[in-house]
This record gives sequence, C-alpha cells and structure tokens, in this order.
Amino acid sequence: MATAIIMPRQGQSVESCILTEWKVKVGDEVAEGDVLAVIETDKASFDLESTASGKVLALFWDADDDVPVLANVAVVGDEGEEVEEFRPEGQASSPVAAPAEDASSANDPVPQAQAASSAPVAPVVSAGSSGALTAGSGVSPRARRLAHKHGIDPESLPGSGPNGRVIERDVEAAVSGRPRLSATARARSLSGDLESPARGTGLAGMVRSQDLKVPGAVEGAEITTVKGIRKVIAERMIQSLGTTAQLTLHASFELSKANAYRRERLDGGQSKVSLNDVIAHAIAQTLKDHPEMNAHFLGDRIATFEKVHLGVAVDTPKGLLVPVIRDASDMSIEKISSEVKNLAGACREGTVSPDDLSGGSFTLTNLGMLGVETFTPVLNAPEVAILGVGGIVLKPKRKEDGSVEYVDTLPLSLTIDHQAVDGAPAARFLQSLIERLENNPGV
Amino acid sequence: MKYDFAVIGAGPAGYVAAKKAAGAGLKTLLVEKKKLGGVCLNEGCVPSKTLLQAAKTYHHAKHGSVFGVSVDGLSFDFPKAHAHKNGVMDKMRDGIAGLMKKYKVDVVEGEAVLQQNRKIVINGEEHEADNILICTGSSPAVPPIPGIDQDHVVDSTGILNRESLPKRLIVVGGGVIGCEFACMYASVDVPVTVLEAMPEICPNLDSEIAATLRTELEKKGVEFQLGSKVEEIGKSTVTYNDGSGSKEIEGDLVLVATGRRPNVSDLGFEDIGLEFSPRGIKVDDKGATNLPGVWAAGDVTGRAWLAHAASRMAEVVVNNITGRSDRMRYDAMPAVVYTSPEVAVVGLTKEEAEERGIKTRSGRIPMAINARYIAENPDEAGLCKVVLEKETNRLLGVHMVGGACSEMIFGATAMLETELREEEIEEIVFPHPTTSEIIKDVFMAVR
Repeated sequence: MATAIIMPRQGQSVESCILTEWKVKVGDEVAEGDVLAVIETDKASFDLESTASGKVLALFWDADDDVPVLANVAVVGDEGEEVEEFRPEGQASSPVAAPAEDASSANDPVPQAQAASSAPVAPVVSAGSSGALTAGSGVSPRARRLAHKHGIDPESLPGSGPNGRVIERDVEAAVSGRPRLSATARARSLSGDLESPARGTGLAGMVRSQDLKVPGAVEGAEITTVKGIRKVIAERMIQSLGTTAQLTLHASFELSKANAYRRERLDGGQSKVSLNDVIAHAIAQTLKDHPEMNAHFLGDRIATFEKVHLGVAVDTPKGLLVPVIRDASDMSIEKISSEVKNLAGACREGTVSPDDLSGGSFTLTNLGMLGVETFTPVLNAPEVAILGVGGIVLKPKRKEDGSVEYVDTLPLSLTIDHQAVDGAPAARFLQSLIERLENNPGV
Repeated sequence: MKYDFAVIGAGPAGYVAAKKAAGAGLKTLLVEKKKLGGVCLNEGCVPSKTLLQAAKTYHHAKHGSVFGVSVDGLSFDFPKAHAHKNGVMDKMRDGIAGLMKKYKVDVVEGEAVLQQNRKIVINGEEHEADNILICTGSSPAVPPIPGIDQDHVVDSTGILNRESLPKRLIVVGGGVIGCEFACMYASVDVPVTVLEAMPEICPNLDSEIAATLRTELEKKGVEFQLGSKVEEIGKSTVTYNDGSGSKEIEGDLVLVATGRRPNVSDLGFEDIGLEFSPRGIKVDDKGATNLPGVWAAGDVTGRAWLAHAASRMAEVVVNNITGRSDRMRYDAMPAVVYTSPEVAVVGLTKEEAEERGIKTRSGRIPMAINARYIAENPDEAGLCKVVLEKETNRLLGVHMVGGACSEMIFGATAMLETELREEEIEEIVFPHPTTSEIIKDVFMAVR
C-alpha cells in the first residue's frame, strides 16, 4: 500500500524544515528506518527516516526546499500505485515525481486546465511517455501566468532556469524579443544547473555558453545559498535591530575574587568551573532581584519570567546557536557548568534538540576568548537584555592609601531593549551583578 | 573646434568608426596624414588583391588546356594591371570620401598630435573632442639585415608600386604577405624563392593546411627554403643560413615581409600618459585605453592585424560611446591568405583547443570529394578540417585551403558566433553543387 512519508515536527517551535539533500531517488527500494533525506531546521540537521517499506514512488520536493512540517515529502509503496492523492498543494510541477504508467492528463486536472487555457498545443507533459517528462524541468508558475497573459505557449520556450526550467525571465525575453541563448548555451543550460544572464557576450548580446553561470553567481566570488541556520540568524538579527530600541551599557569588574574562587575550588578538590560559568551563575542569581531584566517585550505587553532561562551563545561550524539552560536560577554553579558543557557540545555536533534552542529569558554571549575587548551584543528578541563578556583588561586601580596597583578586569556589555527597560534600572542590575562577581562569586 | 568624436587615422577602423558615429548624430572629425582608406586600401588588401587577380587570370589563360582553352601569343602587361589597380583604389577612395561627405564627417589632412584633456593639434590648429579613437594602423617591420637599405629591396608597400617584373624575386618571410606576393609573381612566370626562418610557412595556420598551401605554391614554381635565416642582402644576391652553412641565391628584387609594427610614434602618446608599448596600445575588450574618453582600434592595438578585425573593433568602440554595450570577440575572427589556392580559417585548430584544455573531436576531408571543386580546380589539392568541442559538439574551428574558400568562410564564422553544434549544422541546407558543401561534408569525417 502506498504510504506518504511526512516531514516530522522537530520540536514545538519548528514550522518548517529545509530538505538539504535527498538520499534516495524514485524507484529505489527502501525499508522502514532507512534514511530518505537530510533535513535541517533553523537550529540543527537531522535524518529523515522512512516510515514504510517498499519502492520510492514519488519525491515531492527539491533539495533546498523549505518544507512545512507534517507535509507529505515522499510516497513509498508498490510499483504502479497512484501517488497524486498524496501530492502536497502547490507541488504540481515537481520535477522528481514518478510518472505512473497511466499518468495521462485525465488523472492530473492541473495540467489539463492549463492546456485548455493556453493553446491548442498538447502539453508535452501529458504525452504519456516517460521520456517527454524528463526532457525539461517544466515551467514556473509565474512564467506560466505571464506567458498566458501574452498568449504564448510557455512549453515552447527554451528555459534558462536550472535544468532548462522556463522561468519568468524567459517569457519576458520572448515577449520583448530579447536575444536568446546560442545553440550550445541552450544545450548546456538544459543539461546542468546553470543560469543565463539577461544579456550575453555574443552577437547583439546573445548568450554564449561561456556566459552561463551557476545561479546567482558573482564574478570572483564563491556563492553559497543563505539557508538553514544562516537564514534564520539573518532574519532574527534584522528583526531584532528593526523592532527593538537597543542601548548598550559598558562596565567592568575586577577579577581577583572570581579567580581566587576558581582556584580555591580546584585546591579544595571541587570541579573546575570557567569564568563564563561564574558569570552565568551570577546572572541567574542577580536576575532574581531584577525581574524587569528577565523578560520578553511583546509589543503590547511584557512577560516577566518567574525563573531564569539562560541562553548561552555557542559558536558552531554551522553558525551561532543559543541553547537555553532552563531554570538556571534554581541551579548551583556546578549544575550550570555541566549544563553549558553538555548543551554546547550537542550544538557543535548538531545533535541538540530544537526544543533546547528556544524559550530563553536572558542571554549570555562571550567573545573574550577571541581577543575582543568590548562589543555591543544584539538582543535575542523578544528578550529584553543580553550580556556580552569581553576579554581581560589590565587596569590601574587607586588603593585607599592613594597608591596605584594594577588589576585584571573583565569588561561587561549589557544591551537592553529600551522599550521595556530604562537605562537606570539596567545600570543598577549591572551594578548588582558586578558587586556579586567581585564579592561573592559562585554563591 | 570642438567635436563629439575625433578619429585619428582613416583606415578600415577609422572611416568605419567615423561613418557610424556621425550616423548616430555625433559631430565627428576624421584625421588622415596620407590617403583615405589606410594601408588596406592604399598599400595592402585592395591593391594586392587586384594584382593577384591579374596574375590569376594570366595563369588560368596559360593553363586552360584541360578545359579545351588554349591561347596563342599570351602576354602579361604589368603596367596595365597596375592601371586597373590604381583605378580600383581611386574608386574606393572616392567612395569613402563620398561617404564622409554624406555623413557630414569633417575630414582633415594632416598629422595629429594628442595633448592632455582630449585635445588634438593638427597642422598647428587645436581641436577638442569628448571621445578620441586612435587607429593609426601599422607599418612594415624593418628587420636588422645588412643591405636592407638598397633600392631593389622593398617592403609590401614598395613592391605594389613596381610596374616592371623582376627576373627573379626573393621573398624574405613566408608569412601571409610573403606567400601572396610569391604566388602573384610565380603565376606570371617570375621565378620566386621564399626564405622562411621557421620550419613551415604561415606558422599561425594549422600545420597541415600550411603544408598543403606550400605544396600548391611549389607546383606554381615557388621555391621555399624553410628554417633559413637571412644573413645579408647583396647587390644581386641574398645570403642565408639554413643550418648547414651560408648559402647564396641570386635575385634582382628582394621583398622583405617579416611582419608589421603598430604606428605609435610621434603622436604624443607619452605626453598624455597613454599606456602603450612598441607592440601596441593597451585596450580592453571595449576598445578603451587607460585614459577616459581615449579609445583605440585596429593594428595600432597590436591585435589581430586584419582589416575586418579593425573595422569590428571600431564598431565596438562607437557602440560603447553611443550607449550600446558591445565587446570585441576574437574567437570567431576569420583569416584569409589570398593565394591560389586560398586559405581561409576561423576559430581554433585542434592543437590550440587542446592547449586550452578543451577535449575535441575533429575531421578532415580533401576538397577532391567535392564535384564543383574538381570541375573547376582539376589540378589543385584542397583540404577542409573541422574541430568540435567533444563535450557539447560545439563547432570550434574550420580550416580550409582550396579554390576561393575565402568567400565561404563567413558561413563557418556565423556558425561559430552563434555557437552552433554538429546537430544544428547537419540540418542546414547548402546549395548544390558548390564548393561550400565541403563545410557540411567534413562533418561526415569527424571522429
């Protein structure tokens, strides 16, 4: 029996996943549990496993498509079974659909309707031969609309999109009579993932084969698609800067006590904690007395959290991830230290659960180990505050007797959303935090 | 006077640019120090082709017996051929002058010197232009051979003015120009010896095409001394060394045809900071020099050395000045040797393609399989070669020797410009019977 394979939900906050790579093709035999594809949420990547055994009958999406969760991605079943009932809406022209033996236009109302409205030319895709189906990559919906507007049969146009797909520009070119692709350029664009510029270097701007580029190419630069984590970071960052009123306060604390505390722990046989752990712990404790800093600004209301759910920025090969230590305000420094270690490791290996990457109420970010002195962190909206930690700075300090000594200090940069919090309460929080770090670290 | 566009040099780049720019509405100045038409019309292509046709006509008359044609009392009146040549040149010059008048181009005779800020001084008078095109052409190179300064030693310009036939012609340089004059004189029964320093004539050609041409010229009576370096030109002899020692041959006329040099001197280039060297002015694929508003085209850029290339470069420049984006392409630039038989080539040879890392398929076919060819050229060997890109079947080059193949190379040029593949070319209909069918038939031999 034909079974649809769906895009699983990866945690409550995930609405869609990027299908980064197919591991199977139509016609492959698969068993339940076999990996069908690699998928990527905004946070991490996963394997999509088959939930049925049989032959792969259809793959409804292309690599790099953003697939909504719970949508049908593929069909597994017996040879010859009908797959159209499983086809997700808007995926009518999927290039990798398997042509069922009886895939005439009668079984596919969409192309039939298009054929009726276009021209008395039989659409190539309904010819019933599988050879015809593999000839091109179809017509994009926008191209089809524009072609019909101008009374052109889009199927008759040479496509300059990937694998010869007819895209809007081809119809525009046909309408405006713009120079076309040379014979070789056309053949090459049909056989590969190449894109043609609007104007080439050949006769009167004819596009020659040397003008074909991988889509979106920039001369002298390597192109990578903005997708997955990078896309999400990009969206979040611009959303943060576009919707919040960010103000950064800079201060620093003297390190002597914190370092002494860490040394004493080691001398006393206790577990090793990092300076970052000491700061994370201090934040979680200090926020108890400054609840306005442990909040989300939601436009018409502010959600002030009972407990501190501390996000910790982690640099991973795929980009910035912020795992969240839930209920950090209830935790000892040892517990915080081990949570940070576990979550950061999972992030770097790509095994972190998407649910561990959301729900923070305050974020800590640290660039001190990379030699940065101070920086202005960008809010992890809708959180109202983020603390940045810089690198150790040697500073002169006047002692009570008037003499000057040199002490190690650590710069802290607190960015707040001024929509939710004013400068003075934020400064008071920073003061309390420094007070704690300079006098009672780890307590 | 202030102009939109000033052109220095009225050769195939200059007058084409002037006409096109003026046609587009630019107030245009054309400066020429000698005669309208440049080297091509006055000292090169046009006069040499006229004289070659004279020689060819004599040759055909003399060797027409296979067609049942015999002539008694056949003679060759060289001064009369020159008169025809001069008539053709006058007619063409008048044509250019008329064209310039029609398009309201100001034509000034004199030597131009460039100054800063796109100023030009001609005959002491200062002019100014928004855009300047330098197309001052080239001159025959003068190699450092002892004895080269004698009256009987001429370059390609000098030989075109000789109205008497020598007893024996010695040609120094077996390139295109040397071969054309060798063919011309041999066709009218003047013994000719060509001294070429390289192991084969016309080293830029496909080697098999060049060898076929050499064999055909030998049949006409041209003697080739390959790998021979000229040591000295005497009063009635030329001394050369072919690697086995110095040798001497007699000749009462010596043609030195060892290439051309761009005309880059005495034009003020140094003073305005133009980037150039003795090998030419540096231009990009739009014809732009390093100076804004200063452009160059033709032989003075040191590229292509062909009249039609110069005209195209000029068009590219004017297109870019008048707002139509255009660029120079050299990969479909036809080249011809106007000998009998002619050589016509376009695109890459198999060796050139492979040097660029392109995998190829190629084919060759003798002209003798072509009905029209053997009907008209019974005793002449010919050859057509084709090179395709293996991956795409795209045509990369067509190389021909035989008959009047210069007239059909444009077809291959159009195929290259449109990047036709074997699949498309196979569907093109060629008229029958024509020699041009060889371009279709050669694909049958592609491996």
